[in-house]
Amino acid sequence: MFAAGGQVGRDLAAVDWAATPLGPPADWPQSLRTAVSILLSSRFPMWMGWGPQLTFFCNEAYRHDTLGGKYPWALGRSTSEVWSEIWSDVRPRVQNVLDTGEATWDEGLLLFVERSGYSEESYHTFSYSPLRDDDDTIVGLLCVVSEDTERVIGERRMATLRDLGSDRSVVRTEQEMLAFSSRQLAANLRDLPFTAIYLFGEDGGARLATRTGIAAGHPAVPETMAADDAAAVWPLALLSQGEPQLIELSGDLPAGDWPLPPTQALVTPLAQQGGTPNGFLVAALNRYRPLDDGYRGFVELTAGHVAAGIASARSYQAQQRRAEELAELDRAKTAFFSNISHEFRTPLTLIMGPVEELRGQLAGAEPQVREELEVIHRNGLRLGKLVNALLDFSRIEAGRMQARYEPVDLATTTADLASVFRSAFSRAGLSFEVDVRPLPEPVHLDRGMWEKVILNLLSNALKFTFDGGVRVSVRADGRHAVITVADTGVGVATDEMPRLFERFHRIENSRSRSNEGSGIGLALVQELVGLHRGTIAAESTAGAGTTFTIRLPFGAAHLPADALTPAASSGTRGTSADPFVQEALRWLPAQAAHEGVREESPQAPAAESDQRTPGVTASVLVADDNADMRDYLERLLRSAGHRVSVVGNGQLALEAARISNPDLIISDVMMPVMDGLQLVGALRGDPRTAGTPVLLLSARAGQEAAIEGLEAGADDYLFKPFSAAELLARVRANVELSRLRTGHARWRTALIDSLQEAFFVCDENGAVIEINAAFTDILGFGPEDLPYAPTHPWWPDAVSDSDAHQQVAEAFALLTGHTQGTYTIPVSHRDGHRLWVGAAFNQVQDPDSGRKVIVGTFRDVTAEHYAIQRESALAALGLRLSRSEDLTDALHGVLTELRELWQAPAVVAGVFDGAAVPTVTATDPDLRWAELPEPRRRALLALRDKPLLTAVTERSAGAGITIEHPHGTMALWIELGPARPFTEQDETLLALLAGHIGQGLHRIHQIDQQRETALALQRAILGPAQLPSGFAVRYEPASRPLRVGGDWYDTFPLADGRIGIVVGDCVGHGLRAATVMGQLRSACRALLLQDASPPAALMALDRFAALLPGAMCATVFCGVLDPDNGHLRYSSAGHPPAIVAHTDGATHLLDQGRSRPLGIRPDMPRPEAEHTMPARATLLLYTDGLVERRRQPLTTGIEQATAVVHDGRGSSVESLATAVMDKLAPAGGYDDDVALLVYRQPGPLELEFPAEATRLAPVRTALRGWLNRVGVDPATAQKVLVAAGEACSNAIEHGHRDTPGVIRLRAAATADDLHLTVVDSGRWKPPQPAENAHRGRGITLMRAFMHHVTVTTGTTGTVIDMQARIVP
Amino acid sequence: MTTALTLTSGHRAGSAPTLIAAGEIDMSNAETFAAALAEALAGAGGTTLVVDLTAVEYLDSAGLAALFANADHIEVVAGPLLGPLLTVSGLADLITVR
Repeated sequence: MFAAGGQVGRDLAAVDWAATPLGPPADWPQSLRTAVSILLSSRFPMWMGWGPQLTFFCNEAYRHDTLGGKYPWALGRSTSEVWSEIWSDVRPRVQNVLDTGEATWDEGLLLFVERSGYSEESYHTFSYSPLRDDDDTIVGLLCVVSEDTERVIGERRMATLRDLGSDRSVVRTEQEMLAFSSRQLAANLRDLPFTAIYLFGEDGGARLATRTGIAAGHPAVPETMAADDAAAVWPLALLSQGEPQLIELSGDLPAGDWPLPPTQALVTPLAQQGGTPNGFLVAALNRYRPLDDGYRGFVELTAGHVAAGIASARSYQAQQRRAEELAELDRAKTAFFSNISHEFRTPLTLIMGPVEELRGQLAGAEPQVREELEVIHRNGLRLGKLVNALLDFSRIEAGRMQARYEPVDLATTTADLASVFRSAFSRAGLSFEVDVRPLPEPVHLDRGMWEKVILNLLSNALKFTFDGGVRVSVRADGRHAVITVADTGVGVATDEMPRLFERFHRIENSRSRSNEGSGIGLALVQELVGLHRGTIAAESTAGAGTTFTIRLPFGAAHLPADALTPAASSGTRGTSADPFVQEALRWLPAQAAHEGVREESPQAPAAESDQRTPGVTASVLVADDNADMRDYLERLLRSAGHRVSVVGNGQLALEAARISNPDLIISDVMMPVMDGLQLVGALRGDPRTAGTPVLLLSARAGQEAAIEGLEAGADDYLFKPFSAAELLARVRANVELSRLRTGHARWRTALIDSLQEAFFVCDENGAVIEINAAFTDILGFGPEDLPYAPTHPWWPDAVSDSDAHQQVAEAFALLTGHTQGTYTIPVSHRDGHRLWVGAAFNQVQDPDSGRKVIVGTFRDVTAEHYAIQRESALAALGLRLSRSEDLTDALHGVLTELRELWQAPAVVAGVFDGAAVPTVTATDPDLRWAELPEPRRRALLALRDKPLLTAVTERSAGAGITIEHPHGTMALWIELGPARPFTEQDETLLALLAGHIGQGLHRIHQIDQQRETALALQRAILGPAQLPSGFAVRYEPASRPLRVGGDWYDTFPLADGRIGIVVGDCVGHGLRAATVMGQLRSACRALLLQDASPPAALMALDRFAALLPGAMCATVFCGVLDPDNGHLRYSSAGHPPAIVAHTDGATHLLDQGRSRPLGIRPDMPRPEAEHTMPARATLLLYTDGLVERRRQPLTTGIEQATAVVHDGRGSSVESLATAVMDKLAPAGGYDDDVALLVYRQPGPLELEFPAEATRLAPVRTALRGWLNRVGVDPATAQKVLVAAGEACSNAIEHGHRDTPGVIRLRAAATADDLHLTVVDSGRWKPPQPAENAHRGRGITLMRAFMHHVTVTTGTTGTVIDMQARIVP
Repeated sequence: MTTALTLTSGHRAGSAPTLIAAGEIDMSNAETFAAALAEALAGAGGTTLVVDLTAVEYLDSAGLAALFANADHIEVVAGPLLGPLLTVSGLADLITVR
């Protein structure tokens, strides 16, 4: 009863039940036993109480889930004792069940259980149901429990965490945040009986921020704690280090939702990212739950939420502060600009004044001096313009712009201003249209400001317009004058439009004539228009152009009265136009010679070599959009002996670098079309220029600008302004470094080129970007066509050679998809011939670009490949041949192998063996010569006359060869797929294989012949082919394919009409045992023929065995049977006993006459025993292989065999022999030789006699005698005699009325039945009583006297089959 | 070797004329038996002939045919060996079998 319960079962068994009200288990009622069994076998937690005290039982699941430490104490006790602590809760439910018999159901009931050494908060869903005694009275109850503690508590905690994390986007300040958290924490007084949040102050002390579940002023939550207060309630020092602390609590504390106050608190720091904690959370712990990982995690997550809230509130505050600071900074910056611009103007004036004077004085000086002076002048003007613009700005910003508005004829003024730019537009090849209409009244303008507005707009238009032109128009629109400046330039992208008028904002990446500019032009224009109380708007379409529209009100009412002045002399223009025009002109090509790249003539280097200063000289490419700077750099570098080319932007520089491959490129960062950083990126991305050193020049000072440049791949970075000496030093250093570096590269190239193996580098897409000389040698593809993008030109053709193509495609997938690997693939040389290469590759990170590249090597393994292919094909073929059982099998194997080797759709072989058509063997097993397509037949016939072993290839059809087959010449044809070319190597391989096939087939032919010989020999030593009647035999050899073994049976007639019966078993099996067996069998037969005495024969065999190696210890059952009376004399040499089954069902073991196995003590006499088999008894002789099984006594097998014989005594001996073999066979078949012999006494009667009436009497006599031996009673015998007589008479009269013939009669018996067959060779007629009354009567008699009669008439004769029951 | 059959006709005073057969009757000697039967019937002169088959060990349908042919004029005396045969063949329904 307790057995099913595992440990609980064993412990229940150990309970002293006699001491309980239930008494010893042996006396328990069946109902209790059943209840206990159900309980123990259930995996659902259950307990039950039984009897007056509800004696307690439980199962393993309940013990594990609920009972805990009370186990095994609780077993056998009264339930009220076991659950004393919750008895008051449980008892009403128990009583209800016992009283009413109705089950209870409680879900998630809170119970305080003391199973783990403390009172534990736990939740249970359970049902009490009544248990009834055998007489149906309620004697106990069964409780099925599932504990919900984890679920209930888990959900409660999740709710708190969810609420804490709920949307607090409205919570902004720290105080709001703390109040929010506090509300959530106060909602869970079970897990958090009380909490407190403290925040650290600057001094390391802490102040109470908020609390839940505990009153203010309680000693456990002081308002403040000093950092160095060792007696503080909470350990500040430890907490500020960030580790949670578990604190033991004592004293009078609030209990939350519980009856008793908490005993521990988990104090968790409120961590902030990358810093010391902001404070800490004190969480008093529920004393009714263990502080496990779940609880600890809950408190930590709670603290995490609070910490995150505080951090985000503080960061919000910090952001607000930062915004205010930025506003202040902006104000300071404006003041700074204002001041500094003033400071600039003084030195500028002092530069420009003298320069103007010098220009006048040196008008006749040499050109270089004048040119230098012009440079100073132009750049002075430009600087002054910039400073003025900045100053204007500062003034506007500070509200100190002093405008003087005078009434002006806007149309004329604007047209005048515009005309200043006409020559510049004309030089740029742009149309310039000024369309001004007279306005009805003047507009009040500050002329200086208006000049800046128009000049800035025109300068801008020129800068960004490359085709088409610019149109300026002035017209009136109601109370406004409308001025538009429209260009057909590059336009402004839509997303940039909002920032168009923003100060210092420059539109990046747009094509322009110059990248110079401060980003304040349009901003200033807007401000100036604003001062006139006008508006400016821009419309633009990227790529189509931009139109600026200014609207100015007529009149003066909108302007401050004190700023108005009367009209001055009209038509005068301020001097501010000069810098604008000068600057614009420098953007444009001055002369045709200035366009594009200005290169030295090829002869120049030789001419200039003398001028070089000692040291490094190099070819330098200069890219700068500022023509002055270009000229300056060119002069400077030439003076140092360098060869210099100059270009105006990055795009031109890139093109020049690709062609001329300079030693160094010096580039400005800010350039139109392609800036310096883009140039560096493009250079580095092109293998031809990736190594060219680049020196960037920039006006943008600062570390970040330099880092940006260097990150882009520049080698060096120089800020404007720079000294000539510094520039030249940097140039020299970079050139030297580069030479050193390219020295490494040259060395590396030489090294790689010297490799015997081909070397290649692929980019991440698999394009080959670098190769060495061996690569070209092997594949014929040189570096001139690099890069080689996939699909590479050496891939085999995808259509005409799809297999090879597929192989390469797979290798390519390996190459690009794995970090390393090796593969061997077929490839095509540039000249078309087939190669095999073995490659190995590794993925590496390009140290410069950081990109993935694949470095690989390969070598030509064509020769090895074909050698391996040859070897493996030979090996596979050899294996096929060696496994073949005969010639046919071998040829099939060979064809299959060839088909696989060449992936051929079909392989056909025709053997010309002298027959009318060749014998066809094909990979399609059903194919015959007649079904072959005509071309194939022709091909095979043609092959027959070819020399042996010479491959013949037919283009795009297949290949054939002639082989010597043992039966004649064999033509073999391999059908090839269209995508499988048959190469010279294939032909060689086929010839080689054909040679081996020929030899192999001949060898197998020989083996076939040997095997046939062996089989003939085996048949010779097998048992007799002709058995005396009444016998059935079986033989099963253990060693296949041998058909003989160590076991044998033998039965043969002796001279006196008796029959010799022998079954024997030589030691071992297999061929060796078989040879011994053959000799023993022959010897034993000879001995019995000479002297029909079993013991005498065995003793003579003893002596024979002593001389015959391997014959010792053979076992033999030797018997002599008299078939007339069933008398058997026998002697057994250590052989298992024969089995006899009688008709009455009795069985006997012939276990007498036993003695030692053969060859032991040859001189000792052997005993003889006798057994008389009654009529229809069945005899089974066998060898031990039939009955011997491992781990099973021999007698078991013998009993099984006996049972089969017993059960089969009603079936024929043949059926019985089959049944014995079948029913005793082990699962995997016999593993030892088995021989068996079945005989039924007497043997069947078999008579053959001429179809003559005179033969009926002797036949009857013989049948009567046999029936007597079979033990048939006289009345039945008479019936059988009549039936048999009628059958024979019929055969004589009808079957052989005209022709003499032979009649055969066979009679056999089983335990219960007789079976007669009369066979004639004539033809019967159906009975015709009217004509031949007494013949018809004959059939009637047969049917009346036999139980079953069938007459089967066929062309060869008639068979009458009759059965009769012997035993009623 | 022909089938062994001995036929003896008797006509003892005070009893019916009798044909006694001993041995076996099959198709090889059924005609002999039929001839003897005919002769005995002729000798009986119209009275019922008693055919004594007590010593007949085997009788087949050929022998039965001879008996059927004369069923109106004969009575048959047979041992237990032939009993089932005479019954099965229907002869027993036509003539008196003792």
